[in-house]
Amino acid sequence: MAPATETVLVVDDEQGILEALADLLREEGYRVLTASHGKEALERMAEVKPDLVLTDWMMPVLDGPALIERIQKDPELRHIAVLGMSAVDTNGLRRQHPGMEFLQKPFDIRALMKQVRKALDAPRVREG
Amino acid sequence: MSPSEQHTPVFDRIATGVPGLDPILGGGLMASGVYIVVGEPGAGKTILANQLCYEQARQGTRCLYVTLLAESHSRMLANLRSMAFFDASQLPQRIYYVSGFRMLEEQGLPGLLELLRREMRNHGAGILVLDGLVQAQEAAGSSRDFKKFIHELQVSAGLTRFTALLLTSSVGPTVHPEYTMVDGILELRERTAAMRSWRELQVRKFRGSASLSGSHHFRISEAGVEVFPRLESVVSRAQPPDWGTQRVRFGVPTLDAMIPEGLAAASTTLVMGPPGSGKTLLGASHLAEGLRLGEPGLMVSFYEGPDRLLHKAANVGLSLGSAVRDGRLTLQWNMPAECNLDMVAHALLEDVRKRGVKRLFVDGLSAMVETTHEPARISPFFAALTQELRRLGVTTFFTLETPRLFGPDMDVPLGTGLSGVAENLLFMRHLELNGRLRRLLSIFKLRDADYDPTLREFLITPQGIEVQPPFQPSPELLLTGIARFPGNHS
Repeated sequence: MAPATETVLVVDDEQGILEALADLLREEGYRVLTASHGKEALERMAEVKPDLVLTDWMMPVLDGPALIERIQKDPELRHIAVLGMSAVDTNGLRRQHPGMEFLQKPFDIRALMKQVRKALDAPRVREG
Repeated sequence: MSPSEQHTPVFDRIATGVPGLDPILGGGLMASGVYIVVGEPGAGKTILANQLCYEQARQGTRCLYVTLLAESHSRMLANLRSMAFFDASQLPQRIYYVSGFRMLEEQGLPGLLELLRREMRNHGAGILVLDGLVQAQEAAGSSRDFKKFIHELQVSAGLTRFTALLLTSSVGPTVHPEYTMVDGILELRERTAAMRSWRELQVRKFRGSASLSGSHHFRISEAGVEVFPRLESVVSRAQPPDWGTQRVRFGVPTLDAMIPEGLAAASTTLVMGPPGSGKTLLGASHLAEGLRLGEPGLMVSFYEGPDRLLHKAANVGLSLGSAVRDGRLTLQWNMPAECNLDMVAHALLEDVRKRGVKRLFVDGLSAMVETTHEPARISPFFAALTQELRRLGVTTFFTLETPRLFGPDMDVPLGTGLSGVAENLLFMRHLELNGRLRRLLSIFKLRDADYDPTLREFLITPQGIEVQPPFQPSPELLLTGIARFPGNHS
């Protein structure tokens, strides 16, 4: 069980997946925020800074790559861990975005939780 | 503007990538058109729309696929992965999947419309698929709101030049009045009879050009959706060329001697007879003779598999195996329960055109006929098929099994549709005479050629078929299957 102080922001345009992921992460003890696209995710992060952004890649309004770019360019946000997820071939996405970790949809729940934990535990530069 | 400067706008066509569909649509979808694809869940709408996207992506067009409470994208992609058209490298650059459901829930049709316009612009997409139009319809406050949504989508498609496919499962009447606003309606349906089901596609509406009317069979396999346009609607209406005095022979010297001039080239022959009467061997001889003369051949069968046929032919000295191996002879084997008339016809005509087939042997006409549930179609179908084969210069040989082995009654199944269009009719049957089973052959009808009308016994020997001299005993009774030698009343 994760400490309830850790917050994960899940971003996905598919409502069913968004809700299922949120429920699973809550059951694991995380505090969970949700957004259905990148723009909404940035709005959430203006209010609460999560420890991890778990984001889908293909989304309307503002997609995964654009969201990651905004996070990495923002000194307030760039310390936040990010994890991508997609139904498309994630090996191709890894090649296009070196340094990013991706989860292949549909995912195995245990693998998902392991990846979330790994992303949260990875050392990050915190500016302050 | 002078009349010469005026020009009628010509719409570009969008290739669907669905074999057989573009000919039905007169060349493809019209660019900037809005089309509805309607059908029950599982009818094949999603596969068809994706097939179009992957085809267009291959041609460099970007596609946006928007779902509304449909299956998840990961599940959809998992299902598509086994399809031949699926190409993971097109994702996400050229084919982009998003969900519009949340927007529809929160902001209704205006929000969804805004999302569609914005995403099409952002992705520079030329194709839009909206999967789950029924959700939008349910979210509309009124029929007027829904019409307005479709109208505004049409305006956007025209202005920014994208082509839209709206997928919906039918609710209530198959085609809602609101749907009639769009440029075209394609209906997919599955029908079942006698525990067998088949799929049909019908173009209910198509603006801008003629389309092939009526229903057309389609199937879904790993190749994706394949449509088989109803043969009668696609064959050439042009008169077949005059093949003049060209003649063909069976390759059975004693039978060919009964037709001194030979059969008319590009004619259709129907051989009727009970099981085991030698019909298949006669057809195999027809093919073997063609191969000997350098004419590519094709055999279409329904009951006996290719190996069995080759073995059977080899037993009477007809070596067809090498021709199969080097591609001069093709064997198409069909399971009657798993195919339909148009699938069989399109497959055989494709091979005929590709390899320039000159001799065709279709073994088992009744099985071919059984592949349809529409008896009214049989006659026009065979008229169209034989006309096309004649146009292509193919000499065709069909066999038709008659049900009775022996007896005074002759059951000639003339309702198969072919008997009326076959120029040549041969009849084979068994005869029991003095405790010995004999095979008889006779020519009933022959186009443009004199023939020997006598009844003949024929033998099947390791060297092939041998037609005997005219049969003597009680010829008036031979066709009944009961014969006596003159004076022998025992």
